[in-house]
Amino acid sequence: MNGEVIFFVLFSLGAIIGAVFVLVFRKAVYALLSAVLTFVSMSGLYILLTAEFVAGVQLLIYSGAITILMLFAIMLTKQKTGTTRKRMIRFQWPVIIPIVLLMIIIFYGIHKVTPPRKPVSYGKNNTEQIGELIFTQYMIPFEMISVLLLAALIGAIILAKKENT
Amino acid sequence: MNSFYNSYLLIITFFIIALSLPILSLSIGKWLRPPSKEGGRGVSYESGIEPFHDSRIQFSPQYYLFALLFVIFDIEVIFLFPWAVAYGKLGMFALIEMLIFTFMLCFGLIYAWKKKVLEWM
Repeated sequence: MNGEVIFFVLFSLGAIIGAVFVLVFRKAVYALLSAVLTFVSMSGLYILLTAEFVAGVQLLIYSGAITILMLFAIMLTKQKTGTTRKRMIRFQWPVIIPIVLLMIIIFYGIHKVTPPRKPVSYGKNNTEQIGELIFTQYMIPFEMISVLLLAALIGAIILAKKENT
Repeated sequence: MNSFYNSYLLIITFFIIALSLPILSLSIGKWLRPPSKEGGRGVSYESGIEPFHDSRIQFSPQYYLFALLFVIFDIEVIFLFPWAVAYGKLGMFALIEMLIFTFMLCFGLIYAWKKKVLEWM
């Protein structure tokens, strides 16, 4: 049992516990904080995979920016505590069908993946390699991202402004 | 591989020290201070304003727009980093790609500016 295994267990436990507590907590802010635990643990998992750039992005974007966005979204909405647990439970049982279906699909997807034969060289120039790939092979998706971001920005402005005036 | 992981030992040490600092200082303080008998420890200090109403109120959607602007330009910076690192190998074409990307987001910023999102009301 070496350090890699210990930290893998720690981070994956953190990710799973955080995800479970998102569902358990009744208060939205607590649920968000446990989602942050999941995000941070996932960035730890990325570091274990020697994907340092992705780990940094995970920390910056998810546990930084996305969390702030969701926090503002929580502040915007009225906290409705009216839905009781009993009422929710009645609608819970049919949900098991899509969950099982999703599990089968994900299992099939993971099962199909064959890992590369030779071990991939760990990312010494991780960021540089990603940069080269983005700007040569994945150029069109990269430009589509800017369109997507623009659409999100303009959509949010239109929605928020209509409410004000 | 091991040298890669060993470089993270420093971060783990830093994390442990950072975690133990507040825990240690708070528990030492709890151990040293006399136990308080009367209530009123939660009262605001030196005739501050007494808290009233609920803190969970509905905020103006303008905050959300600021947060969204922040997230969008955060993502832009994330894409700038690998471009800047690999700039020597990529050359002119990537520069034009990046200009298009930046121009798109600048257009969004100008749109937000024109719609008076940046002004507080």
